[in-house]
Formats: sequence, structure tokens, C-alpha cells
Amino acid sequence: MADFEPKVVAFLCRWCAYAGADLAGTSRLQYPPNVVPIRVPCSGRVEPSWVVDALQKGADGVLIGGCHPGDCHYVSGNYKARRRVYLLKKILPELGIAPERVRLEWVSATEGKRFAQVVADFVEELRALGPMKVMSEG
Amino acid sequence: MEVLSQVEIAFWPALADSKKADLEAMPKGYIDAALINGAIRTQENLEMVRLLREKSKLIVAYGACAHLGGIPSLANLYGREELLKAAFGDGWRPGPPPGAPQEDAPPELLPKALPLAQAVPVDYTVPGCPPPAGLIGEFFSAFLSGEMPPPGHVFAKVKALCEECPRTREERVLKKIVRPHEIVPDPEACLLDQGIICLGPVTRGGCSAACPSAGMPCTGCLGPTPKAGDMGLSMVSALASLVRAGEEGEAAIPSENEILDQLVDPIGTLYKYGVPDMPCAKEGEG
Repeated sequence: MADFEPKVVAFLCRWCAYAGADLAGTSRLQYPPNVVPIRVPCSGRVEPSWVVDALQKGADGVLIGGCHPGDCHYVSGNYKARRRVYLLKKILPELGIAPERVRLEWVSATEGKRFAQVVADFVEELRALGPMKVMSEG
Repeated sequence: MEVLSQVEIAFWPALADSKKADLEAMPKGYIDAALINGAIRTQENLEMVRLLREKSKLIVAYGACAHLGGIPSLANLYGREELLKAAFGDGWRPGPPPGAPQEDAPPELLPKALPLAQAVPVDYTVPGCPPPAGLIGEFFSAFLSGEMPPPGHVFAKVKALCEECPRTREERVLKKIVRPHEIVPDPEACLLDQGIICLGPVTRGGCSAACPSAGMPCTGCLGPTPKAGDMGLSMVSALASLVRAGEEGEAAIPSENEILDQLVDPIGTLYKYGVPDMPCAKEGEG
């Protein structure tokens, strides 16, 4: 388990979290390379099925990054994202997935440092949780 | 429609004296169409459907269990050992009665209850719990006229049940979630608007919205629309979009959570007819 490197799929809203990730890069901040960022128009666009799909197809964790409350470019997409993640986390344990594998964070375009910190924390937490277990057929 | 005069029953264990040996004696492809109901739960189920596949030109998944796994597949949320323990207690193993030969043992339980299509290739599906008469009719008229749709067709609508529901949708927000027995629903208004979890938005039409018309919510027996894909997750998405506790904002978060917490038994409600495609082992059980 010592060489386990968690794979993280990150859905990042283009207005805040993705810009925050960009800032982390242009500021040359160091953070774990385990994350695969996917730019989405809004955190409210992220379907629960994408999250589960990612976890079933090899991701060990999914990060959803949106704008801070009050800052959503589309006014309320981030609130919708929050309710979705809240409900999703209620059903994940019954589907056999640890809810800690899904994390929703608010990261603004100015928070490169916060993005790097969020990724580092999440990767460490997933490392402790171990790889996503997928039951083999039969 | 007169069906029985136009077909010959080759094999029907529930109604005719049909034995496995009769089936084995038939030549390959002897049966024109085998309508199979039920989830594939045991080794014996698996053997029978493999045999039927060999002897039949068409295999039709008939009913919600064959289509989606059905209620028996809710047991897939637990391991096989857990199930046996819950049903028979610690230490009991399925086996023959004392003194009887091994062949008298009950058929072995498969690790999961499977929809038919995960056991053998399926040509067509007649969905529903039970399949509505209209859809059965659609299948038989296509079959008997020889004008079948392309293989893989599900005999139900592609559009959601809401499209054919006579109730009127107005509020488009969910201020509370209630279970059907807790309120007497308004006879005209959308059940979802009244806080009853109705799976109409993610379920195929084809039953003329029989349950909502009778005051009960749709529980999803015709299966998800192609657009919805995963029923439960699509419904999570829809519910989360609809829930409102006044003005949206940080201050509303606790009351929004209170509403979302009113959803009792989310898995049993949102995935009543099948969770077979969730291939994840339970975590945190070693």
C-alpha cells in the first residue's frame, strides 16, 4: 500500500476553481500530481452520474470545485451542486462507496494557494482510505 | 387481440407440464420467442436461461426483474454471505436435507441477482411490474405481424412518464419531502410538487401514468429513459435542483439539508427495480 497513488478526477468550474488551479500553476505552487482537472461551465453542471462513473472507472476520489457562496457566475449553480453532493453522499455508502471519496470545495480565482492545499489534503485522505475497491464479476 | 390461437406454447412451467428434459430434447432454435421473467438469482436460473437461449430464436426480457434485476437485486447491496446469514442465521450452509444425496441440495445462490441481459444476450424487452397490457399488446402485434423493431428495442416510450401524466405541474420547487401515506394528495396537481417522490421524470412512459393517475407516485417499474441512464443518480440530480428552503444562499443551507434529510430509504425509493450495475464492493468491511 506504500506505493499507492490515488487518482483524483476534479470537476472545476471555469469561473472560479479552474482559474484558481491555473493560478496555482502560474504561481508555480507545488501540489500532488494525482489530480486530473476537467473544466466544466459551472459546479452546478456536474451530474451525480459523472461522479459515480469516474469512481467506477478507476478514480479513487472526485473533487468538485465551485465558486464561494454568493459568487456563482450563474447566481445559484454552486448551491445546486451543494445539494446534489449532499444527497449523493447519503446514498454512496449504501452503494458501497465511502462518501469521503467525494469532496466539494469552494475555490475562488484568487485562491491558487487554497487549491493546492485542497488537493494535497484530499490526496492524503484518499491515500489513507486506500484504493477504490471494485468487486470482480462472479 | 387474439394471441393464443396464433401461437403454440412450447414451454411454460407455470401453466403447462413442461420439464427441463422436454426443453433439452428440442432442436436448436426450435422456439420462436422465449418470454422470460424474473431475475437470475441461482445457478439453476442461469442453466435454464442458457438452455432457453440455445433453443430460442428470440429472447425477450419480460417484466422489471428480467429487465433491470428488480426488487430481488436490491440484495446486491449486500454480499452473498451476509444474505445467507440474515436469512438463516450464523453457520448455516445451503445443503441437502440430513441423509439426502447432494443433488437434493437447493440450487447455489449466485453472488448477485442479475438482470437477464447479464446472463444471456437479450433481443427485446417488455418492461414493467407487471408489464402494462398495452405494451404486451405492442410486442405481440409486432411479433405476430413479423414487423419487429430493431433488436434491443424496449417496448415502452423513450420519453418520460411525465409527458403522459394527466397531473399539472406548477410549483417546480420542493419545500418538503413526504411519503405517500403522510398526505392526501391533491387530485390534479403534480405529486412531486406536493413533496411525494415520484420517479416520473426519469422513468419511461408507456403505462399512461397509471400510478400517478391513481394518486400513487411512479416507482420506476418501466425503467429509466435512455436520457436518464442511471435512475437513482438522475433523480438525485433532479431532487437537488428542486429543493428550496426560501431564498437560496448560505443561510438556507441548514433548512435545505433538513428537507433533503426527509428522503427516507433513498436506495429503496430511487432504485426500487434494480441496482445491479453498481459493481462496487462494500467499503470498510475488510
